[in-house]
Amino acid sequence: MQQKIMRLIRSKEAVLLLITIVIFVAFTINNDNFRRMGNLQGIMQTMSVTGVMTVGMALLFIGGGIDLSMTFVALFSGVICATMIAMGIPWPLAILITLVLGACLGAINAFFITKVNVMSFIMTIALSQMLQGVNLIITNAQDIAVTVEGFRWGARMLWIFPIPFVIMTLLIVGFGLILTKTRFGRSIYMVGGNEYAARLAGINPKKVRAILYIIAGTLSSLAGVMFTSRMASAAPAAAADWQMNAVTAAILGGVAFGGGSGSMIGCLIGIAMLNIFNFGLTSIGLATQWITMASGALLLIALTMDFLNERSRKKSLGLITTKKKLKLQKGV
Amino acid sequence: MGDILEFKNICKSYPGVRALQDVSFSAKSGNVLALLGENGAGKSTLLRILSGDVSPNSGKITINGEEQIYSAPNDAIKMGISVISQERQLVPSLTVMENIFPGAQPKTKLGTIDKKKLRSESNAIIDKFAMPIDPDDLVGRLSVAHQQMVEIMKAYRRNSRIIAFDEPTAPLTESEINVLFGLIDQLKAEGKIIIYVSHRLAEIFQVTDEIVVLKDGLLVSQLTTSQTNENELIKAMIGRDLGDTYANLKRNDQIGDVILEVKDLNTNKLKDVSFTIRKGEVLGFAGLIGAGRTEVARAVFGADMISSGEIHFDGKKVTFKEPKDAIKAGIALCPEDRKDQGLLLFRTIRENVTMPILSRIKSGLFLNKKLERELTEEAVRQYTIRTPSINKITRELSGGNQQKVILGRWTNSRNSTKLLILDEPTKGIDVGTKAEIYQLVCDLAKSGLAVIFISSELTEVINVADRIIVMQNGQITGTVMREEATEENVLSLAMLV
Repeated sequence: MQQKIMRLIRSKEAVLLLITIVIFVAFTINNDNFRRMGNLQGIMQTMSVTGVMTVGMALLFIGGGIDLSMTFVALFSGVICATMIAMGIPWPLAILITLVLGACLGAINAFFITKVNVMSFIMTIALSQMLQGVNLIITNAQDIAVTVEGFRWGARMLWIFPIPFVIMTLLIVGFGLILTKTRFGRSIYMVGGNEYAARLAGINPKKVRAILYIIAGTLSSLAGVMFTSRMASAAPAAAADWQMNAVTAAILGGVAFGGGSGSMIGCLIGIAMLNIFNFGLTSIGLATQWITMASGALLLIALTMDFLNERSRKKSLGLITTKKKLKLQKGV
Repeated sequence: MGDILEFKNICKSYPGVRALQDVSFSAKSGNVLALLGENGAGKSTLLRILSGDVSPNSGKITINGEEQIYSAPNDAIKMGISVISQERQLVPSLTVMENIFPGAQPKTKLGTIDKKKLRSESNAIIDKFAMPIDPDDLVGRLSVAHQQMVEIMKAYRRNSRIIAFDEPTAPLTESEINVLFGLIDQLKAEGKIIIYVSHRLAEIFQVTDEIVVLKDGLLVSQLTTSQTNENELIKAMIGRDLGDTYANLKRNDQIGDVILEVKDLNTNKLKDVSFTIRKGEVLGFAGLIGAGRTEVARAVFGADMISSGEIHFDGKKVTFKEPKDAIKAGIALCPEDRKDQGLLLFRTIRENVTMPILSRIKSGLFLNKKLERELTEEAVRQYTIRTPSINKITRELSGGNQQKVILGRWTNSRNSTKLLILDEPTKGIDVGTKAEIYQLVCDLAKSGLAVIFISSELTEVINVADRIIVMQNGQITGTVMREEATEENVLSLAMLV
């Protein structure tokens, strides 16, 4: 038991949690605004949309993939959902159809990546651009308002927690269980950790990856629906930094970009850290453009940490040989 | 004229392995010197030291008495040393002339590349060797043989004094080999020092003047080609002593029915491979690196495409599309490269052991962690894996213990393994653990498992296996029973074309 506690304290997640708390306390001491309940709820509210995407991104990272179509899958989903509701389709059904659509978009990514062997980030950028165009075509570049009162759950509270936050938390718990306790979860780590070994141990890496892209598509779609529900309108081209925030949060949360390691708890801490950081900077009166820059810098720091981490792992394995070093130097 | 290259007291060790021990010899210009030895004898390490790719722990290389110190990757080239390795060092998307002059293309006054001059200079070199190659051909479109010629011309253009060839004839056909030998003669006549590494004894007698034989990192003899013969060479290459290890093995003597029958198996690397293996039998596969042993394992395991042939397993005709299908049928593979192909290095022993059996340790939706722990502990006990905890990350284990983790993956009580394929199971493992693994193999055979034992160490394969299949160039060249097997007869099957 004592050993377990020690391991918990020493883990990557514990360190990250500590950093997050320090950031939080620092902002709280410096600024009275930050402390208010409304503000906390605001943070929870905002983090949920990128949080849901981060879950998808983190799963893909662990399995050795990436999805850069998330933002536009989300926006497209919002537009489709709002349009359907405007056409008079009952909102729960509209949401359901939208999520299925999101899964299909994920499946398109999965098909080209695993069957046609298109590189994952090229493929997802291609889809992203296509959707960007489609969005503008459908909406004529206008926002679509949703007037149905029932659909506005995204702005409501469950006790003191915003409903989107509750959804995000449930997803994190659910996928956390899948990752640690199920066969599929274990396969994700195997495929991301050593695809070759996984195949020789009877796992089908392509199938695992394909499922991950479908999950990512569905989650992006859900994020879009949540956002539309909160704002009561769907915008065809808002918030292009969603997926970058998801990348930042996942990496801040200790998910290895190269695959094979990471956890949902880390993911949650990463989301919290990024949002508290952004919110804190807002509350001390920093202009948006500066905050955007700071987020970029934060991503760079996180990536550098990930790189150093990876390098020390490889070094200790002796995977970087003289020969590889030579090749790097020669630039061959 | 009259350069002399000397290797003086070269020592190199890697963790757990002494690759070269106090190796000294010299090579004269106008001579072709052969480096000969079994897999792992230290030939490649020596070439890599010559090219500056790795540095020796001690000892030095001198040219005409002058010590050569490498500080940058280019240094070997500047010193006039070119090593033509098995991996091509060409840019396939560029033309022949651009490849002959990498980073040294003649320039015009404006600083751009002088194509005319480049073409004429390349043509001069190509004509010198009378090659049917155009300087404007893309290297990627050339045949393997012609690509090799481009490498040789590249070395020639650099005015290299020393040219080393690592298994140059491996990808070549008979007539291409003759062209290569003509080229080597030409280089020899110009007073170059040539170092020639090959497994093919016939060639060594054809082109070389002197032979250096290495064994386990030691230089065992230096001979003049015209004064020796094949038997003497083979004798010099073999003969490792592992004491009573093999005599003390408790072997299985209950050999059962045929479990696997392979008929006329063809893939892009294998030709008409047929063999059978019985329950309780340890079947060895001997041969040189690249002989096709691993490819047989991969084809049987469903990891590589089969172009024709039949596989019967456990009485049924089978076709495995994926390793998954083979595993389901009861075949297990411990791949040759533990770290790259076998283990999840950053995950725990527990997770590595249960990789293929996750579906059998589920209770409902979730994995049964208690059962997983028990199975792992069982493997740790059975194979005496030395670790403080089953939650240790596998990269922190020694090579021998890593290999045991992979063995434990396939042979615990939840597995239905009937045929176990071990590809180089003792590579990079210390002698004590090797002996343990030999006994484990015999124990597994006793429990009724059929074991395919692939190894590049001759002594090991002829002493552990009940029957030895020898391969060469993707084909089976012979089968030898243990009682009749000697290193001489196995090696001659593996080497002589």
